[in-house]
Amino acid sequence: MKPANQPLGAGGVKPANQPSGASGVKRRSSRGGADGLDEVKPRRLGLGFWLAASWVVAIVAASLLAPVLPLTDPTDVGVGGPRLPPSRDWFFGTDSLGRDVFSRTVYGARISLAVGGFAIGFGMVFGGGLGILAGFFRGRLDHVIGFVFFVLLSFPALVLAILITATLDRTLLVVSLTLGILAIAPVGRLARATTLVYAEREFVAAARVLGARRGRIIVRELLPNVLIPMGALTLLGMAVTVVAEGALAFLGLSVAGDDAISWGKMIVDGAQLRDLQQAPHVAMFPITAMFLTVLALNLVGDRIREYYDVRELAF
Amino acid sequence: MIGFVARRAVTLVLVLLAVTFLAFAALNVLGDPLVNVVGALAEKDCTEVYAGVAEDQSTSLNPSGDCEIVAQARAEYHLDRPLAPRYFLWLSDLIRGDFGTSFQNNQPVGEVLREKFPKSLLLMAMAQAVALGVSIPWGVASAYRANRSFDRASTIGSFGLLSVPVFAMGVVLLYLFTLRWNIFPSAFDDAGLLPRLWSLVLPAVTLGLPLAAAYQRLLRTDLITTLQEDFVHMARAKGLTPVRIMFRHALRPSMFSMVTVFGLNTGTLIGGSLVVEQIFGIPGIGREIVTAVIRDDFPVVLAAVVVIAVGFVVVNFLVDLLYSWLDPRVRAA
Repeated sequence: MKPANQPLGAGGVKPANQPSGASGVKRRSSRGGADGLDEVKPRRLGLGFWLAASWVVAIVAASLLAPVLPLTDPTDVGVGGPRLPPSRDWFFGTDSLGRDVFSRTVYGARISLAVGGFAIGFGMVFGGGLGILAGFFRGRLDHVIGFVFFVLLSFPALVLAILITATLDRTLLVVSLTLGILAIAPVGRLARATTLVYAEREFVAAARVLGARRGRIIVRELLPNVLIPMGALTLLGMAVTVVAEGALAFLGLSVAGDDAISWGKMIVDGAQLRDLQQAPHVAMFPITAMFLTVLALNLVGDRIREYYDVRELAF
Repeated sequence: MIGFVARRAVTLVLVLLAVTFLAFAALNVLGDPLVNVVGALAEKDCTEVYAGVAEDQSTSLNPSGDCEIVAQARAEYHLDRPLAPRYFLWLSDLIRGDFGTSFQNNQPVGEVLREKFPKSLLLMAMAQAVALGVSIPWGVASAYRANRSFDRASTIGSFGLLSVPVFAMGVVLLYLFTLRWNIFPSAFDDAGLLPRLWSLVLPAVTLGLPLAAAYQRLLRTDLITTLQEDFVHMARAKGLTPVRIMFRHALRPSMFSMVTVFGLNTGTLIGGSLVVEQIFGIPGIGREIVTAVIRDDFPVVLAAVVVIAVGFVVVNFLVDLLYSWLDPRVRAA
């Protein structure tokens, strides 16, 4: 995943690679304590993983259930006084227009996660598809697709996003599609590299000898194997897109309209000097929500990648 | 080596053509360029006026003056030509240093860029300096006693730091250091070199810290590998101090991954600085792009995006060359 807003090396672009550490559970068990230091441990994901996973589940559930939860209308102006501090009535306080920050944070998750989920899904379908084709057919097709990926990666991610969102109406679909286009090249490179490895394996050769058509080999033999590393990348990629939406919001290029609430737009609103001075909670609560979500997605994605022992293929 | 450079140079030219074409096409196809240039005037039906243009129509109140603007814009941006020739005309202008004219204030775009870019570049340079200044001692310290308590803590710390969005970091630092403790100014101070540098410290730290975490991870991994090499054992056996072994012997051969990522991260840094300029009110290229987008100032957006993208491609090309010079195995690949 080419991070839009995180440095390379973020979210497991390069693993921490502890010599005796947690990375590569399989490798460790196969070594089987030969050096007397590593005893064979059962595969475990650890407490941090489950905490992070519960947070992700809780946020997704809250965003899906937001309309039926007992929340004030997030767009309702003046439900409380302006810039009220957090209290028992308003858990997260109110913003400069007297809107309920708690309710807005819950609703904000909807757009942030929808943009993230849609974008990475788009990247998976198109990037993954192109990558598998390039890796399977090789030759000229591979060169063309490789060049397209290279050009896409030659733009700083945010600049490419500016180019697309600047000229179009910024609906939810346009913003998601834009971030989805950013996801094509990194996902595609991973899919291509994984396909290259698996296309050499015996079971693919066996399928060929048995007379399977190329379409069948791609769908039945290669796709299931390529999906595993791509699945681990999904969560890491979602973390990146959630952040990218926030960055676009700071440039005024996130989903337009007052009723389209996202964490990024909330942070921008709360980060005006006057708001930040008088009511820092308006910015700090969505910042915390976004940080915890990105952290949780990174952690879960990283662990799943280690669990399935996905090596860094494309980066 | 010469063959390698030549092959890479051909790719470089192809990529530059593709990148500039993509940027040009995006702004020409996704939006109507005429609307972007002249705004609502593009709706006017000017076909009839062409026939009867008279001398006295240059007065500003005369509505057909609008049509002159439209005609001028059509000519200047070659809007009467199809996309491909228009692209090459634009490109040849660009290569000769003519970036067009900002439609909002009639300033040559080249001038705007020359005024804004240095500030952004200064910010990015300072951010890289912060990143290197933090990551090298940090990486050395955690590799020195790998998997002991400091190293474990800093692995968690760097993982956490990498999950902080750059704008979140910016807002929190702005709140703490400017509004709460009043240490740094809240706006860019252009009165001389020192105030300028001082007001860029906080933005540079905002951009630099996540980078530092990324560099630290790479440096730590490479250092741990290097420290198991024979020449390090040799140095130890000779009784050199750990500090000398670390900094004089082990550090340099452990910096390959960092050098590569140093270049690759330029893209992240550019994106980050666009956002950070908004938060800290730095009148750099990021702010210029945002105002230009809001005003549909098509020539400024296009020129800024193209300069950034070309700069990014060239930096990666140079890093690629530098890397293959450092490590000859890359050339064979």
